[in-house]
Amino acid sequence: MAGPDVTTRAGARRIVEALEDAGVTIITTLPDTWIGWLAEEMRRSARLRVVDVASEEEAIAIACGVNLTGARAAVAIQNAGLLNCGAIVASLVQLYRIPCVLIVSYRGNERDPVYYHVPKGRMTEPTLQAWGVRHARARAGEAVTAQIAEAYVWADEERAPFALLFSAEDLA
Amino acid sequence: MSTTRRKAYLDALVAALVPGRDLLVAGLGANARYLPHMDVPVPCFALCDAMGSAIPLALGMALARGDRRVVALEGDGSLLMNLGTLATVGAAQPANLVVIVFRNRHYESSGGQDLPPVEVDFSVVARACRFARAEDVPDAEHFRTAFERACVAGGPALLVLETAFDPAEPIPPYSERPDEIRLSFAQALAAGR
Repeated sequence: MAGPDVTTRAGARRIVEALEDAGVTIITTLPDTWIGWLAEEMRRSARLRVVDVASEEEAIAIACGVNLTGARAAVAIQNAGLLNCGAIVASLVQLYRIPCVLIVSYRGNERDPVYYHVPKGRMTEPTLQAWGVRHARARAGEAVTAQIAEAYVWADEERAPFALLFSAEDLA
Repeated sequence: MSTTRRKAYLDALVAALVPGRDLLVAGLGANARYLPHMDVPVPCFALCDAMGSAIPLALGMALARGDRRVVALEGDGSLLMNLGTLATVGAAQPANLVVIVFRNRHYESSGGQDLPPVEVDFSVVARACRFARAEDVPDAEHFRTAFERACVAGGPALLVLETAFDPAEPIPPYSERPDEIRLSFAQALAAGR
């Protein structure tokens, strides 16, 4: 089966435009291969500042700092990194009720049967459910634009984290 | 070992803060517990949990608000938990971030257990991470001038305060709830304090 066409970057560009339209100015990221495609597009944006981090917990804390000043941020990480973030989600994002939108590559889902990603793919959605983090799989094509806007509205209104889970096809 | 108490440093810091210029972020523990009982003249966001997150939280504020100086207070144990954050700060190069590390070699909040028995030179690490300035401060008398140098460093700065550890120190308990802290920070920021 052919992999996603990463040469077009149409999906990544669509996500970046949606983030710009949502008023995001700062994106914190620790890339994997898929988020790397998105990060390349983010760095081309004149309206986004990309902040490279050493750990995913930091990515979330930096985004929270941005949001506490009234600006908008996004966090772009792999689901493996998200799984490291239970404590920061509970003890910062949820405890202080800070809006936080997470753009997450969903490695190991049913469309990514790479053997070493499968275990974390299997535990991603149940873990988010257990943490009380609202989440959704990204809608295909143009529909993701409205979904990202809705994620920010929801996170702001509920003062809570929201995780959008992306497959390779969505980001390529 | 230092004989300078944390409160003496905090008194010197609060006296040096400038309303309309500075924002203050305190990591969990004694700093966050003392500050509500002090007359802090600037917006203050104090953590009661999320160990190790004060510096990245402050970095986010610094990047979003280039018109304000952000001062992050962190313990040495908390910094050890998230030492990579110095590299993140160094890469981002915010000219408006001052990191202050209280070095007492103990996990004070959890009962005073020793840190891992290794002398990490945080100033050396910070300089290796491209901080514009990093220096050790031996006592409260030297704090004010060190803070002034940090504020004009032209890049991220770090001060390491040698701090006495006293297991009998009467540190007040946490006195504000997270929602109060978030709201009072937002209100003070909006008011231009």
